[in-house]
Amino acid sequence: MKKNDYIEILLSILAALFIGGIVIFIMGFNPLAAYGELFKGAFQGNFGFGSTLAKFTPLLLTALAFHISTTVSVFNVGVEGSLYLGAMAAAWVGFGLTGVPAVIHVPLCLIAGAAAGGLWALIPAALKVYYNVNEICTTILLNYVAIDITSYMVNFPLSSKSGSPQTPSISDSASLTEFMLPSKANTGLFIAIALFVVLYWMLYHTTMGYRLRSTGANPAFSEYVGINPKREMMAGMFISGALGGIAGAIEVMGVYGCFLDNFSNGIANNGMLVALISRGDIRIIPVMAFFLAILQSGALGMQRYTSLDDSIISAIIALFILFATMQGLFKLKTTFGGPKKHTGLKTGSEK
Amino acid sequence: MNDNTIIEMSGINKQFPLVKAIDDGKFDLRAGEIHSLIGENGAGKSTMMKILYGVYAPDSGDIRVGDSHYKTMDTKKAIELGIGMVHQEFMLAEGLTVLENIILGSEPKKGSRIDFAKAREKVETYSRDYGLEIDLNKKVIDIPVGEAQRVEIIKTLYRGAKILILDEPTAVLTPQETVNLFKILNALKEDGKSVVFISHKLNEVMEISDRITVMRHGKYIDTANKEDVSIPQLAQMMVGRKVFLGAEKRSHEITDTVLSVKDIYVPSEREHSKIRGISLNIHKGEILGIAGIDGNGQKELAEAVSGLRKVERGAVVLNGKEIQNMNPQKIRMAGLSYIPEDRNVRGMNKSFSIKENLVADCFYKKPYSSRGVLNRKKIDNYAADVIKKYDIRPADTDICIANLSGGNAQKVICAREIDGDFDVLIAAQPTRGVDIGSIEVIRKILTETRDKGKAVLLISADLDEILALSDRIAVIYEGRITGVLKADEATDIKLGLLMTGEEIYEKE
Repeated sequence: MKKNDYIEILLSILAALFIGGIVIFIMGFNPLAAYGELFKGAFQGNFGFGSTLAKFTPLLLTALAFHISTTVSVFNVGVEGSLYLGAMAAAWVGFGLTGVPAVIHVPLCLIAGAAAGGLWALIPAALKVYYNVNEICTTILLNYVAIDITSYMVNFPLSSKSGSPQTPSISDSASLTEFMLPSKANTGLFIAIALFVVLYWMLYHTTMGYRLRSTGANPAFSEYVGINPKREMMAGMFISGALGGIAGAIEVMGVYGCFLDNFSNGIANNGMLVALISRGDIRIIPVMAFFLAILQSGALGMQRYTSLDDSIISAIIALFILFATMQGLFKLKTTFGGPKKHTGLKTGSEK
Repeated sequence: MNDNTIIEMSGINKQFPLVKAIDDGKFDLRAGEIHSLIGENGAGKSTMMKILYGVYAPDSGDIRVGDSHYKTMDTKKAIELGIGMVHQEFMLAEGLTVLENIILGSEPKKGSRIDFAKAREKVETYSRDYGLEIDLNKKVIDIPVGEAQRVEIIKTLYRGAKILILDEPTAVLTPQETVNLFKILNALKEDGKSVVFISHKLNEVMEISDRITVMRHGKYIDTANKEDVSIPQLAQMMVGRKVFLGAEKRSHEITDTVLSVKDIYVPSEREHSKIRGISLNIHKGEILGIAGIDGNGQKELAEAVSGLRKVERGAVVLNGKEIQNMNPQKIRMAGLSYIPEDRNVRGMNKSFSIKENLVADCFYKKPYSSRGVLNRKKIDNYAADVIKKYDIRPADTDICIANLSGGNAQKVICAREIDGDFDVLIAAQPTRGVDIGSIEVIRKILTETRDKGKAVLLISADLDEILALSDRIAVIYEGRITGVLKADEATDIKLGLLMTGEEIYEKE
């Protein structure tokens, strides 16, 4: 990613905020005041900043999940499904096991979540790699399957039988520590950040990372130098699903304390957008995830103080994504120019 | 200044991201001449002509066409001014017929419908006048490259071109087709049209040109009448020093067979058994050249041996071990190295840096990594050494390989393949589209490899290269070997016959 790309992303943010401001103005509010409330909502006090951090965690993890799949050139739209199954697996281990110390219970829940999410992602991966089935179709469809499976489990075999569609609460030994109360911020944040660091290191400093990146960049070349692209694609998809599963597990262990039917409401889709606007640069992902988390958690504050509906934030997020993905919009003039650069100077017969 | 001059480019400058492609470039063209523009790859020949044709805009400079001066061109204007260009990669719609391709974009109309009869008539006059034999009704996908090139030429003539720019037109042709092309170019010249012939094959340039302009590193070097220069002089002008491209032939004893291919059948993308029963033996310390027109199974042969393509029948034996249909990594471990034909796809990972490309076949081995963790320092040092040894430019281990010229990228590939343990090297089209300086380095690598007692299977569509390097020459035609000759028995004519299917079997 070049320096210009960073500037383009920044310009996209400003343009989206500007157009959002116009909409807010038309609706009869002061845009600056509304944005002020938004940033206050996202940063002020334990609740404000804590909520931002709580939203940041799953966004970061699901964005990384999507990123690793695109690294092996698979478009995993199924992170949401992995997230649900990972959450369910973690909840199950969380309430099913008792009398285990936290140092064992917490990792067990995370591993269960990762395994469930990862194995689930292997289904579309295998279909793509061995039968050439388009992974976008299969992952979208499998999301419904995954969500419905968890819905069935939470309503029947694993129901808390309390009348609401949720599992029994997980034991204390499986819970992540919350901080900045009364917000939902929890130590899952540090797990997510640690995973980001590990993933970055893995991609750029290990032979496994080399194989994954090589496979995604050029499978024909990879095959030629003796890498098995099929195996690497499967591996990449497993990691992708596992990260989604961990994101779901952290939601259960740190935020809800149990599996709630339909709890996610598109977390992974937002994560996918974070990965997309980061344009394949893993270093940008935390920044973009944090930005989206600010908008999402600040929207609540804005709504509270200005009676402006928080759907405007969804609109601004959508606008921002639109701008950020329109790569040519802010094409900064480079020293070299594209294939054609008309100087506008014309002489001779043009006159 | 000659009165006939119809195009004059002067003071042209063009900067690309990493290189100054054209540095004070200069070129002029007279009516009714064939003017060759020569230079190494990356010398700026194509860029210069693409500026004239309006594909690139120069940063500064003046282009005079007739009496008008232009700062920049665009393709539309160029076509209106009668300039036509046949690019290295043909720009034809494969699914359409030849006639449809020619008139595409400037169709004669009858009412709202295309007047095919009129179009056909007009196109046929061109093919008659200049000896451009084409079949108007065939789909482009079904015609051979030589014919596709003639279609491209007619396409430009149909658009009223008086000036034809041909970018390395002979690179894809057989010797016989080249002779035919030259007849066409001479007919065009007789008719008063001007031709710019971009090439780096000096013997062709000497045959066809009236005048020759040499470029080097983006700079204009000199323009000369053909009569006033010789091939060695031109080569020296192109490279800036004396060059030696041939290899020392050694009369050597045929000793141990390292690689033998036994009656193999190999499919291509489109057909079963593209290769039908090829058998070959390659011995230690020899270069076996595979000559043949592109697309007769060369690629399939190389890929079958290296494990990238399925072998339907037959056996491939390397060092006494059957390796057919094993995975590429195992075949590499068994002692095979491979410089692939498709440099940009197979040969390198364009989004990776030079060093990442260099270690692609050994990153998982010590000392470049241990326990799965890359040793970046070792990799950096190794890459720096290789860059120095093979004079790869720019000399920066971290630069993305996509920024390298074809020749330098190919040097990276060669360096990777000949470093480390191997017994057989397959070199497929190793110098295609590569500048003279790099050709010299790469050919030296091949002969040194042979002199170290390794076996080299050289696959090349460039007959001169096959003749210059090989100890024995096998000719491939439609998936079969039509003959195997000793280097001293091989002549252009014999090979040309074998390449078009005449079978002359000679004893090994």
